[in-house]
Amino acid sequence: MDPYIERSPDGAVAIGTLDSLLNLARKNSEWYLLFATACCGIELMQTGGPRTDADRFGFVFRPTPRQADTIILAGTITYKMASRVRLLYEQMAEPRYVISMGSCANTGGPFYDSYPVVKGGDLILPVDVYVAGCPPRPEALIEALMLVQDKMAREPWLRKARGRWPDPKDPWPQPSAVLGSCAAAAKGPTPKG
Amino acid sequence: MKPEEIRDKLTASLGAAEYTPGPGDAAITVPVDRWHEAATVLRRDPDLDFDFLRSLSGVDRPAVGKIEVVCHLLSYRHRHTIVLKTGIDRSAPAVPTLSDVWPAANWHERELYDLFGVNVTSHPDLRRLLLPEDWVGHPLRKDYKEPDSYRGIPMQRPQTAAEAVTPPAAPEKP
Amino acid sequence: MQLLAERIATWLGMEGLPRQAVVAGVVLVVALVVATVVLTIAGILTWAERRVAGRTQSRVGPNRVGPLGFLQWVADGIKLITKEDVIPAAADRTLFRLAPYPVIVGIFAAFASVPFGQKLIAADLNVGVLYLMAITSLVVVGVLMAGWASNNKWALLGGVRSAAQIVSYEVPSVLAALSVVLLAGTLSLQGIIGKQGGWPWEWYLFYNPFTFVAFFLFFTSAVAEGNRTPFDLPEAESELVAGYNVEYSGMRFAGFFLGEFANVYLLSAIATALFFGGWQIPGVTPDMQAASPVWQAVGVGLFALKAGTGAFVVLWLRWTMPRLRVDQLMGLCYRYLLPLSFAMLLGNAAYVWLVPQWAAWVVQGATTTVGLAVAGVFVRRVFYHIRHVGDDVSLDLARGESGTFDPQLQVRVYGAFRRRHAGDSAS
Ligand code: SF4
Repeated sequence: MDPYIERSPDGAVAIGTLDSLLNLARKNSEWYLLFATACCGIELMQTGGPRTDADRFGFVFRPTPRQADTIILAGTITYKMASRVRLLYEQMAEPRYVISMGSCANTGGPFYDSYPVVKGGDLILPVDVYVAGCPPRPEALIEALMLVQDKMAREPWLRKARGRWPDPKDPWPQPSAVLGSCAAAAKGPTPKG
Repeated sequence: MKPEEIRDKLTASLGAAEYTPGPGDAAITVPVDRWHEAATVLRRDPDLDFDFLRSLSGVDRPAVGKIEVVCHLLSYRHRHTIVLKTGIDRSAPAVPTLSDVWPAANWHERELYDLFGVNVTSHPDLRRLLLPEDWVGHPLRKDYKEPDSYRGIPMQRPQTAAEAVTPPAAPEKP
Repeated sequence: MQLLAERIATWLGMEGLPRQAVVAGVVLVVALVVATVVLTIAGILTWAERRVAGRTQSRVGPNRVGPLGFLQWVADGIKLITKEDVIPAAADRTLFRLAPYPVIVGIFAAFASVPFGQKLIAADLNVGVLYLMAITSLVVVGVLMAGWASNNKWALLGGVRSAAQIVSYEVPSVLAALSVVLLAGTLSLQGIIGKQGGWPWEWYLFYNPFTFVAFFLFFTSAVAEGNRTPFDLPEAESELVAGYNVEYSGMRFAGFFLGEFANVYLLSAIATALFFGGWQIPGVTPDMQAASPVWQAVGVGLFALKAGTGAFVVLWLRWTMPRLRVDQLMGLCYRYLLPLSFAMLLGNAAYVWLVPQWAAWVVQGATTTVGLAVAGVFVRRVFYHIRHVGDDVSLDLARGESGTFDPQLQVRVYGAFRRRHAGDSAS
């Protein structure tokens, strides 16, 4: 277990082992919301199935947003659905994470020129990880969930819970909606065939 | 029954009706004031008995200044099909409802209203079907202009990092 | 309890303290110990459930945290503590916060009189069975509170369904338990276990045909009382998002969750005590057990094994059976289980009254033979399928990718299936 090492703006170094213990527990129990808006949902279901068993990593689905940690935007989001997606996100308990799955949720995908489709889930929710593909394979989704695990493992949860984080002078680096997390998406496996 | 026979039966009870034999489904075009009557005949006449409304849709034709309303009909009993059409004025489109003839027409006509802005008169519940209630415009019209944003969500993806939007922060929980 | 308290006080050299204080202290300690044990059991069961689910669906199940993913429940627990505790704005705040406690208290308090071993019982009440049935009913209060206070239609529907279900199924389960009480002549669980023996033919399960049936009635209605599949209508996620706990997050949700799994163990523990001879060891009399700590430990282990097997069956059922419809559920209770359990109770009464001792021996022997034979056939079938079909679930059976493929065997196991598919490919 790596201890959590944080460098504050003035150069001091903090090591939190309690945090890393908590994070170890948090990242091994990442429950995702059983929610899908279009065809990517089929792959989302498949991810929990025998071939790529998401439960191995402690990823189980919860039907209600109150008990979920991660919302997976699986599929095309229409403008009518956008407010519902947003509502679901707001109902989730902190800390919460967002995965954008598939071209539709990333950018609008094949429906970019269509009038009712939101051109990317990151226009309505703060997305943590993007998964490329139409639809992404279950393995790619597992990788995305594991990237969220990485993010959890790096988070100073205790300080956040006590309200000392993010530092008002050094706010949470908000990834720019478009260009941020591209690295994360690029790290995801390319779907084959 | 052959499409021609259907046409003949319809003209017998309605008067004039324009007929287009097709390589596909043959179509009968009636003026809009006979629209409901034609539908009733097609539905009620025991020899025609079109008991299934397969689809009710619209076609926007700015060149002729009309919106065409198209009904695809099928009779399970007699195993024949026909297409019923009417053209309505594009500047003030209005058509009487068929939902008392085929209950299925209810939602089809709501869709027609939603996407073409056709005012379906005496429809029991004329609201938007697919798009949100506060949507502006009717997107299947050829002259539809996409707005810049809907409820603060931009309709185009920002092209540069400078244009990037940050999604609104979640409201503080009490 | 008080005697024990006094003995401990003497042992600690605290005779001087007021007696009530010592008693209160000891009760508190015992309660803490019981609560810890129950929490651990419930936690382990959540892990077991996910492993069983994985196995049933030819998956693996959690395997990253600890050996075989055994510490998964610890991770889940810590995760749930770190989550935000959301209280909906429109909820009844007091009730909403209070609701998990009746559930936890009802289940945990029941464990106080579960006889884990001959000496290992927190409180051997002389009305043990009655107490268990009564205290677990507290769960209804909590569930209804949760459903009502959430101010959410799914939660309310789930809560009301759950209340109806628990109250209804309480009746057949109590009646089935009464059959045993009638035979034992005591309500104390230790007394009931004492009347049985270690060997299967000395269990109340095989005492006579009536108790044999009564066990299945008890088990079915206890599973339904615990809101487990196939009776998990209060939490049916296809109808009511998550039932009465739909608005709960964090630790409060964990309360409901642990309560449910503790309930699974509780019902198997009660079934073990009533029907399976509890901590009795084959060939060892209770007196011998009382004299030797080793036998005591073996007895505790045996009880845990029997109750664990029961809990496993409940988990197994959950991942095998589809869910009932709500009207079928009530119909099952009032049209079948209730009259049957009455009949079993009357049958037992008549049996005790009419059948002479020598005939009772014969009946007991016959029931045991038949019961064990049925169980043997069942277990054999199960293992047959596990061995020959097992995890190699391939829709194309004829291809048989597993190394142990044997066409003749497949024909026997899935004969009809194969024939149908053979016809398909021929045409
Ligand atoms: S990305 Fe492809 S598979 Fe996924 S929702 Fe869009 S169209 Fe469907």
